[in-house]
Amino acid sequence: MLEKLVGWSRVKSPWVCHLNTGGCNGCDIETLAALMPRFDVERFGILLEGSPRHADVLLCTGPITRQIKSRAVRIYEQMPEPKFVIAIGSCACAGDVFWGCYNVLGGIDKAIPVNVYIPGCPPRPDAIIHGVVKLLGALDPRYNELLEELKRKGEIHVSGE
Amino acid sequence: MSVATAIINLLVFPGFIFLFFYSLFCEFIDRKVYARLQNRVGPPLYQPWADFLKLLSKESLVPKMANRKMFTAVPIFGLAAVVTAFLYIPIWSSNSLYPFTGDLIVVAYLLTLPALFLFLAGWHSGNPFSTVGGFRVLTQLFGYEVPFFLAILSPALVAGIWSLSDIVQYQLDHVWFICLLPLSFIVAIASLVGKLERIPFDIPTAEQEIVAGPMVEYSGGRLALMRLMVNIEMVAGAALISVLFLAGFDVPGVHLLGVPAVIVGFIAFVIKTLFIVFILACIKALFARLRIEQMVNMCLKWLAPIAMVQLLIVVGLKFAGIL
Repeated sequence: MLEKLVGWSRVKSPWVCHLNTGGCNGCDIETLAALMPRFDVERFGILLEGSPRHADVLLCTGPITRQIKSRAVRIYEQMPEPKFVIAIGSCACAGDVFWGCYNVLGGIDKAIPVNVYIPGCPPRPDAIIHGVVKLLGALDPRYNELLEELKRKGEIHVSGE
Repeated sequence: MSVATAIINLLVFPGFIFLFFYSLFCEFIDRKVYARLQNRVGPPLYQPWADFLKLLSKESLVPKMANRKMFTAVPIFGLAAVVTAFLYIPIWSSNSLYPFTGDLIVVAYLLTLPALFLFLAGWHSGNPFSTVGGFRVLTQLFGYEVPFFLAILSPALVAGIWSLSDIVQYQLDHVWFICLLPLSFIVAIASLVGKLERIPFDIPTAEQEIVAGPMVEYSGGRLALMRLMVNIEMVAGAALISVLFLAGFDVPGVHLLGVPAVIVGFIAFVIKTLFIVFILACIKALFARLRIEQMVNMCLKWLAPIAMVQLLIVVGLKFAGIL
């Protein structure tokens, strides 16, 4: 009973923390656009928190550079358990155009474990919301119904799925 | 009063459990109104409870640089201070649970404590952001405390007594103080915003500058208690203002006895506190953050003199024999 309640609360209030690990700012702008009143993610209980200590989900944008690697690991370790990581954008997924640069290690998963990959250069805000809801769906199957509803309402456009 | 009743009063109603549910409901109203004013849908009804439960179930970290004992003790002491403050505020009748002469001063004192505990929380976290936040809490304290005290003392001056019960009784016999002392009401609301560290006076927790101020290092259950403390402080502040200026439980023209009087009085109390919370949410949506010296300037140059003018008017009317 208590476990169910705790699981419910965890799914209903994912607080996110935003970290740029060396991207070009395109994905950051799209991430912030996803958090704007237009999309109103507070409907799902998503809040943007400044401190990683308060956050459940780390939104990472950009490839991992040599300089940011130790910082990214530290920020990840500062988050209390249970914690999740979402890689936003093609660079964060695998390095993309920065692949093979002398200062770039590759995707976010070269430094910290990643739960959800959102490709795109940059991904649209609705794709980012799609990714977050997918993460919630992995925690609680009922969220897959919400995903279908959002697609039906036209709030999320998914091509080639 | 038997020990059992006292314990039920302290823990269930109007003590901790009632305050837990009511303050989180007020947070919901606050967030919902804020969202609607931004043309959003806003969070669902269960959101504050989900946040609280989730934070309780999360790991609660203590940084290596922090003072472990103080870090743990501060949220509990702060919570105890605001819950105690609420016990002295009359809710369903003109008497609170433990009324005595001078309970207004005790409530004002207990509502000052959260700022001190926030400073201690910031200081003992061992983080530069939280230390800066703690200093800002104290700097801001000197700004809003003067107008807040001047504003909440003017009803006491008119009624001629320090007891909350007698101030409510005076309003029943004469007129609500919001009609008699409108300037004090405005100053009290504005300095309550400073007390609760909300926009435009959210300088100590300014997210874009110092992340989350004194609460930067808090996580899990301790953070849940800190947030609960701020919420209950909001309810206690709103209840204090509704008692002082809106006559607490009073509904004009309705005179009941016994159980119906308690129920109607309680509903009136809920409506009045929610009205104050609504005003606070509108202020949050309308204004942008000030800088710390602008905030102190505004409090000491404008709010305090306005409260003083109101006091002078009251004293003048008293000497003229009108009040």
